[in-house]
Amino acid sequence: MFSNKKEEPAPHRPAEPVPAARPATPASSSHAPAPPAETARRGERATIGPSIFIKGDLTGDEDLVIEGRVEGKVDLKQNNVTVGKNGRVKADIHGRVVTVEGEVDGNVYAHEQAVLRQAGAIRGNISAPRVVLEDGSRFKGSIDMETKETARPGAQGAGPAPAPSPAKPPEATAAQAAAG
Amino acid sequence: MSWFSFRTDRREAPAHPVAPPPAVAAPEVHRSLALPAVFEALSRLPKANILDLGPALGANVEHLSSYGCRLTIEDLFLTKTSVAEGDLNADLFAELLPLPGGPQFDVVFAWDLFNYFSRKELAHLTARLRQACKPGAQVLAFLWIHKSIPAQPIHFRFRGTDELVYDRRTALERPGPRFQPAEISQLMSGFHVDRSFLLRHGIQEYLFVRE
Repeated sequence: MFSNKKEEPAPHRPAEPVPAARPATPASSSHAPAPPAETARRGERATIGPSIFIKGDLTGDEDLVIEGRVEGKVDLKQNNVTVGKNGRVKADIHGRVVTVEGEVDGNVYAHEQAVLRQAGAIRGNISAPRVVLEDGSRFKGSIDMETKETARPGAQGAGPAPAPSPAKPPEATAAQAAAG
Repeated sequence: MSWFSFRTDRREAPAHPVAPPPAVAAPEVHRSLALPAVFEALSRLPKANILDLGPALGANVEHLSSYGCRLTIEDLFLTKTSVAEGDLNADLFAELLPLPGGPQFDVVFAWDLFNYFSRKELAHLTARLRQACKPGAQVLAFLWIHKSIPAQPIHFRFRGTDELVYDRRTALERPGPRFQPAEISQLMSGFHVDRSFLLRHGIQEYLFVRE
C-alpha cells in the first residue's frame, strides 16, 4: 500500500494482525461481482510495527496504525490514522480521524477529527473541524477550528453582558467579586 | 534536548528530601468578571485569532472550538523552565511568537503568567505582545496581590463564559511579584486597562486592550 522506501525492514512483525487472505476472483466470474477495491479495504487496518522506519510518502486506502518511525508524509485522507504510543512521526499527516498517542513533529490535517491522547505530543499545527486534547498531552502550535455559526455562544445575545466599567478601583470591585 | 522531552526532564525536586510535599488543593471554581467581555468580543469576530500562553488544555480547546477560531498555544512557563536564566529575551520571544504577517492576534490569554517572569523578561514579553496584537485586541491577565503565590502557574479552565476552574499544580509557594499600578502601566504601554477587578481570593483580573 505504501509508495515508500523501507530503510530498515524488520525481519517480522509478530504483533501485526494479518488480514485474512482474500480469494482471488476472476474478472470473468459469473457469480456475485467482486467488491470494488475501496469497499473491500474498508475496515482493514495496516500497522507499521515498532521496529520499522519508513522514510517517504505513505498513501493508500485503508486505516493505518503507526507504532514505528515515519519521516516524510502520511496521506490517507479517507482513512483513519493512529500514531500509537511507540509511534514517532516526523511528517504532515492527512487523515479522516487522526489520533495521536505517540509523538508527531509536523502538521495534522484531519477531515473529521483530531485527537491528542494523554500520552501524545504534537509539535505542529492542527487543522480539523473537531479537536480533542486530553489533559496531560503536549501540544505546541496552532489549532485551526472550523467556524460553526450555529454553535457560537452569545451569537444571539445569550451570553452575559459584560459590565462596562473600566478600571474600577479594587475596593469597589471586590464587592462585585463575591462569587470569586 | 528535544521538545518532547521537556516534561520528563523538568521534574521539580522536592523542597525537602524527607518531609512529604503538602497536598495540592482540589480545583476551585471562581467567577471571572473580565472573561464575559472576552467571550462577548469573540462572539462578534468571524474567525478570531487567539493566543493562549498557558498549557494545552482539552476543556479550553473544546470551549473555544465553538467560536470557530484559530488558536495558537505557546506554553511560556514550560519554555521558561527549559531555557537557561537570561535566555528568555527578545530574540527568543520573537522565535516563540513568530509574526510573519504582522500583528495577528485578537485575544491573548496570559492567565497568571506575568507573575512568573522577572521584570526584565516580562518587559521582553509585553514588547512582543505589543507587536503581536491587532489594534483593539484584548489581553486577559491575572496578577496576584499576595506576598506568596503558587510556585507554578495555575491551570485555568473555562466553565461557561464567566467562570474559571483554578487547578493548582503544586502546594508549594514562592514570593509574589507585587506589581505596582505604575509598573503595570509601564510594562503594558501600548495597551490600556479596559477593566480591572480585584477578586476576593487575591487575584486582580486585568483586561488590557491594544491601542
